[in-house]
Amino acid sequence: MSASISLNGRDQPVEHGETVAGLLERLGFGRGYALVERNGEPVERARYAEVRLEDGDRLVVARPVAGG
Amino acid sequence: MSTHDPLVIAGREFGSRLLTGTGKFDTFETMRDALTVSGSEIVTVAVRRIDFDARDEDITTFLPEHMLLLPNTSGCATADEAVRSARLARAGGLPDWVKLEVIPDPRYLLPDPVETLRAAATLVEDGFTVLPYVSPDPVLQKKLEEVGCATVMPLAAPIGSGRGLKLRDAIRIMVEQAEVPLVVDAGLGSPSHAAEAMEMGADAVLVNSAIAGAEDPVAMARAFGLAVEAGRMAFHAGVIEEREQAAASSPLAGALHQP
Repeated sequence: MSASISLNGRDQPVEHGETVAGLLERLGFGRGYALVERNGEPVERARYAEVRLEDGDRLVVARPVAGG
Repeated sequence: MSTHDPLVIAGREFGSRLLTGTGKFDTFETMRDALTVSGSEIVTVAVRRIDFDARDEDITTFLPEHMLLLPNTSGCATADEAVRSARLARAGGLPDWVKLEVIPDPRYLLPDPVETLRAAATLVEDGFTVLPYVSPDPVLQKKLEEVGCATVMPLAAPIGSGRGLKLRDAIRIMVEQAEVPLVVDAGLGSPSHAAEAMEMGADAVLVNSAIAGAEDPVAMARAFGLAVEAGRMAFHAGVIEEREQAAASSPLAGALHQP
């Protein structure tokens, strides 16, 4: 059964048991910096491969960009 | 004078006193080349939501590895937003250093001193090395030092204005009483502005728009690097006092036309 999360404010279907790392990989952001907040709490990079997404999760994914 | 004159922030030594922002360059290649010739060892980045529809390049692949990435909290208008941004960056693997900026006012882009102080206290408590961006305010400087900030970074003039040291007198007081490095950040338009700040005794400067917006950003980055070095050297060498009257630099006696 698939689930749906909010990813940067948009609906995003996820596989059952899919991890943060798995989703990032699938979206083409498996490498480099992806900064992840799940339900308002930052997720440690070391835990991306173990944190499993659940139906209704709110995910914010950011990254470093040019700035002064 | 000893040539070993590192900038020391939170116990870490840096060989360059020029910090550089990565914004507004036409291409990441130009940015990389400018940062490289500038000599900078600390470069700022912003943190923004990924647009999954756009296939933007990853800026970090263009940043030389020896440079310390300094995430800023630009776009944050309150202390809570800034703390959230810093924590997100650190959790995601960026350094636990943060250029703290809390800017509620989109017109003049001036930082909020109350929210900045509040966020600084929280972030220091949380283990961050905090480099706050502030208006030149010697009283606020002391309060930021008291809560444990690693630097204080007063603006010379509004961000991106290129107007130079418009609030010179306040910055001079801050230089005199600084107990942590004073970094003049924002508003410097030309290398002479940077040199002037360094001659006054600023520990470092942070420059972005003046380099990125130059006709030749790479050459301008090098010019800023040289100006910062020159200004620092002049500070150590001791700049002469200004005088009201002329003072001849050649002997007054023995001129050839004298009888």
